[in-house]
Amino acid sequence: MLLKRLTEAMGPSGFEDEIRGVLREEVEGCVDRVYTDVLGNLICEKGVHQPGPRVMLDAHMDEVGLMITHAEENGLLRFRPLGGVDPRVLVSKPVRIGEDKRFGVIGAKPIHLQKAEERRKPLPLESLYIDIGARDRDDALAHVRLGDVAVFATRYEEIGVRCAKAKSFDDRAGCAVLVEALRETHPIPVYGVFTVQEEIGLRGAMAAAYRIQPDIAIALEGTVCFDVARAPGHGQGTVLGRGPAFTLQDGRTLADRRFLEFLVHVAERHDIPYQFRRVKGGSNDFGAIHRTRAGVVGGSISIPVRYIHAPAQVMSLEDYENTVRLVRAVLAELAKGGFQA
Amino acid sequence: MTDIGGLKARILHWAEVVAPSGSEGQVREALLGAIRAAADTVRVDALGNAIATKAGEGKHVVLVAHADEPGVMAIHADEQGFLRLIAIGDVPAEALVGRMVQFTNGVTGVVGVESRVKPQDVGFEHLFVDVGAASQAEAQRLVPLGTAGVVQSPVVEMGPHRLAGRALDNRAGCAVAAEAFLRLAAMGRKVSVVFTAQQAVGSRGAGTAAYQLEPDLAIVVDAAPAGDMPEAPRMALRLGQGPALKVMDGTAVVPLDVKHHLEESARRAGVEIQYEVWPRGQSDAGAVQLSQAGVKVGGVSYPARRSGMMQVIDLRDLDAAVRWVVAAAASW
Repeated sequence: MLLKRLTEAMGPSGFEDEIRGVLREEVEGCVDRVYTDVLGNLICEKGVHQPGPRVMLDAHMDEVGLMITHAEENGLLRFRPLGGVDPRVLVSKPVRIGEDKRFGVIGAKPIHLQKAEERRKPLPLESLYIDIGARDRDDALAHVRLGDVAVFATRYEEIGVRCAKAKSFDDRAGCAVLVEALRETHPIPVYGVFTVQEEIGLRGAMAAAYRIQPDIAIALEGTVCFDVARAPGHGQGTVLGRGPAFTLQDGRTLADRRFLEFLVHVAERHDIPYQFRRVKGGSNDFGAIHRTRAGVVGGSISIPVRYIHAPAQVMSLEDYENTVRLVRAVLAELAKGGFQA
Repeated sequence: MTDIGGLKARILHWAEVVAPSGSEGQVREALLGAIRAAADTVRVDALGNAIATKAGEGKHVVLVAHADEPGVMAIHADEQGFLRLIAIGDVPAEALVGRMVQFTNGVTGVVGVESRVKPQDVGFEHLFVDVGAASQAEAQRLVPLGTAGVVQSPVVEMGPHRLAGRALDNRAGCAVAAEAFLRLAAMGRKVSVVFTAQQAVGSRGAGTAAYQLEPDLAIVVDAAPAGDMPEAPRMALRLGQGPALKVMDGTAVVPLDVKHHLEESARRAGVEIQYEVWPRGQSDAGAVQLSQAGVKVGGVSYPARRSGMMQVIDLRDLDAAVRWVVAAAASW
């Protein structure tokens, strides 16, 4: 199952080897050419010698993670976040470390020993550590090296009514949409790019767009969704189950009005639900792509993900399927010349 | 050649146009209208920059003036028909309370604030806009989500030389760049002018524009804050004392050869200048300088007194800036 395979693979920013290998297997045979660039982006070319606009579809394959920075004498490991991780979500979570996926748990003082004041305050990063059951520092460093990375040890599972939970829907959901798009045939040149290092500053996408020089680029993302109890309408970002979301403005992009109208038009014409991403914070690879060289037209299509950047993220499978349909429809309309910049 | 009246007419016209970053379409048309007849090529690029080029003699000098302004964007409509906003660029939420906003589609509304919030704590999440809608559907029909707007305020003439208004930064700079472009084109020089998009959100347009144009020299024309008001933040620029040579701002340090050339050009043109040292200042200079393999960049600024969303400028500074830019560009 594609979503399970992609979300369970490891790939914190800068350490995308495993997920890149998985993605390469998933697309091999469906595309004309697949290769990596200097930064480690996985670039897939499909029908690039056909006439028509050169379309770059982008999904970042990296995920937020933790990097081991120090081993204490007693064998406990200190770490720093790789990408935006809220320290408050970390306590007591199981993680997998390094290439051999060694189990660890992020430890903290048990409730029995905490003073009343300590119970009221969230634990800061400095007081957290990862316990791998090591005897002492030497034992710990025999299994884990400084600079190794860890990810949450969450399995993919379908839950409730057409929902799923996993550790990295941001942005393996986008990767899965891109894989599905690359398995189909399109009459225009398509460059599918699984980028690296999005979570630490959109670094991979910048180099990929510079190389590809697309006419049109679309970032496929898993985005913030906070449609929960007591969140006002203008603080939700997106709503689970209401379809793929279009960005109006985020931290790095002002929507290209023409392309936004095109996306809305395609969704309505194909009877696919859509919504707007109604917050300014955050960003995605399109923020880097649209500023490369002489500038690139395009936008982003995002799947709402609750508890993004946390151990168990929740996504609607209907939103996912509608995003797959929408990307298919967008490519078909682009091939028909439905968008003129 | 002095033409304060011509500059003023253009600025009065252009500063009324609503053009928050990313929604520069209307002002772009007005700006290009002033120079189209003198240009060989005119185009609008992927990010919304308006670019005009005139072929001719000499080095390729590119005049850069941002066309956009900070503003707001409608991001949500609630069930009662009130709109919610996010900022475009650096807009203090408290400056919007009780003001009218005008959206790019002409709809206007009144900005209110949730009453439980203390004035010093006001954020965009507490603001709402009443556009006269009675329902969510009506509000979204009047102002589709994603529509951008600005604080509504007319441009006012204050005495013979000064103007006050909302978007004088940088429609005044656009007027300087446009006039300088026309004069350089008439002289037969190779020259381009770029009215850049999306400066107020981080100079996103300027870099891609410079990438396309490969300038031998780029001159950025923009406002710099005057410091001649009571208890103003320390800044040496004074209104009406002449345009300013950008020495450095928060985005770029002007190369010495460009700085010296601008000083010498001002002397030859008989223009009294001031010096702009603005360590936290934002301008297109840095984005232009770091485009391609690096671009020679200079800056000619005009002092602007700033108060909330309003600016006050002096037309004599602008007129001198035109003569200075023309002299510098023609001799590079």
